[in-house]
Amino acid sequence: MRKILFRVGAVLILLILAGIMMIVGRGHTIYFDNKTLEYNGESYAAIRRINVFVNGEQVAKLSKKERGMATCMGQSFSFDIEVIREKDGEPEPYHFDLSLPYGMDGIIVNLPAIMEGLPQEAWMSEFIPAPPTETEEDELPSDEFEMGGEV
Amino acid sequence: MNKQSSGKKALNFLGANSVPIMFIVIIAVCIPIVGFSPTFLLNEIVTRLSRNAFLILSLLIPIMAGMGLNFGMTLGAMAAEIALIFTSDWQIWGIPGIVLAMIISIPISAVLGLLCGKILNAAKGREMITSYIISFFMNGVYQLVVLYMMGSIIPIIHNNIKLPRGYGVRSSVDLTRIRKSLDNLLAINIGGVRIPMATILIIVAMCLVIIWFRRTKLGQDMRAVGQDMEVARAAGIDVERTRLISIVISTVLAGLGMVIYLQNMGDMATYSSHSQIGMFCIAALLVGGASVDKASIGNVFLGVILFHTMFILAPAAGAKITGNEVIGEYFRVFVSYGVITVALIMYETKKRREKAGIGQQLAAAQREGGVTRA
Repeated sequence: MRKILFRVGAVLILLILAGIMMIVGRGHTIYFDNKTLEYNGESYAAIRRINVFVNGEQVAKLSKKERGMATCMGQSFSFDIEVIREKDGEPEPYHFDLSLPYGMDGIIVNLPAIMEGLPQEAWMSEFIPAPPTETEEDELPSDEFEMGGEV
Repeated sequence: MNKQSSGKKALNFLGANSVPIMFIVIIAVCIPIVGFSPTFLLNEIVTRLSRNAFLILSLLIPIMAGMGLNFGMTLGAMAAEIALIFTSDWQIWGIPGIVLAMIISIPISAVLGLLCGKILNAAKGREMITSYIISFFMNGVYQLVVLYMMGSIIPIIHNNIKLPRGYGVRSSVDLTRIRKSLDNLLAINIGGVRIPMATILIIVAMCLVIIWFRRTKLGQDMRAVGQDMEVARAAGIDVERTRLISIVISTVLAGLGMVIYLQNMGDMATYSSHSQIGMFCIAALLVGGASVDKASIGNVFLGVILFHTMFILAPAAGAKITGNEVIGEYFRVFVSYGVITVALIMYETKKRREKAGIGQQLAAAQREGGVTRA
């Protein structure tokens, strides 16, 4: 009985650990867009210059119509931006904390819209990569006895 | 008398350690020819030590149980690769990705180890060749699963993992998101040599576990089974179960070791990463002075250092001596397989000598008995 309990306990611990790893290790790529957005008939114009910082490190310097990128692990993501609306203008700092949807690999965040305090559905969308265009097959396994190899 | 015995001792030492000594000589000759800086060489050795040591440690337990060199460790490697395909597809990055891959590999390795162990129990005395052939057989099953079932029956979402035809996994899986995550954790730099402390700590912990395991009841049983199966059976040890457990443990450890190995490489050759790993690990262990029936943790580390130093030096030495790097590559491959062949021949010779010795003793005893009766 004790043996069975130990075994079940070990399996449970592994399952819980696996679950935790799946949550904390889930990787996302965040794309920052400085693009004009139309939402509910209103237009939110792109800004002259936006500097994006993640963990204090600058990851993007975006002019109008540009896109930057950062990666993160887990379901929450924080970033800071500096907005420069005019040439030689003072940068306006903003800070955002996002809760990321688990199912999205790539997440597009529209910066002009998030700055205006619009709902999440307005400024967040999924990045869908273009379907692969290559047609060539990968080199598939053969039954040859290979000699070398990297070790 | 003393001189004679010390000479005999020296000869015995040379005989017992001929393979490591040969490698030390080759390395000593190659180092000045190649002219690599000590920092470069040390960096390479430390990287390869941290990459391979865990995998080679997985070979120790079956040797302890008298099952020889477990070529079936390839099964663990396949389990690790399947686990890494899943974690890559699920986009689990960094250390969590490595831990998750290890957790997923455990049940797959355990089932494959169980299957391998059952077959090896039915092929007592021919474990090595049987495990070698099992690895080929399982390679076919692995290809069936990865090439045809993944993406069609087993869900694979990402197109960068799937073949363009829509099912099957590409020949190379990108592990950039977990690349060196473990090696970079707690890494320190000593005199230009980067030491992956977390990986080394895991390897040290594994060594301690093996030392501890040898002293447990199960470990003692394995040693008893390794020495003489019939005596162990007579002593009440469940020989088949003990042997089975040793193979399961070895396969599971090989799976964990393969995750460590691949996180260091940062790229996985889906259909070939596992195929050579057993051979190279066994060669490294034998180079370290181990034999089919005896291996220690010391043999693992000496083997990794010597075998991989030769791997680093051989292509460059080949290029310098013959002007052709491929010659060095051939040389290292020739030496790898050669070492395994020599070790197997030495093991068989030793076994036959022992058998012949026992036969002679029996004959002598019978003669003496006959004289007494007469």
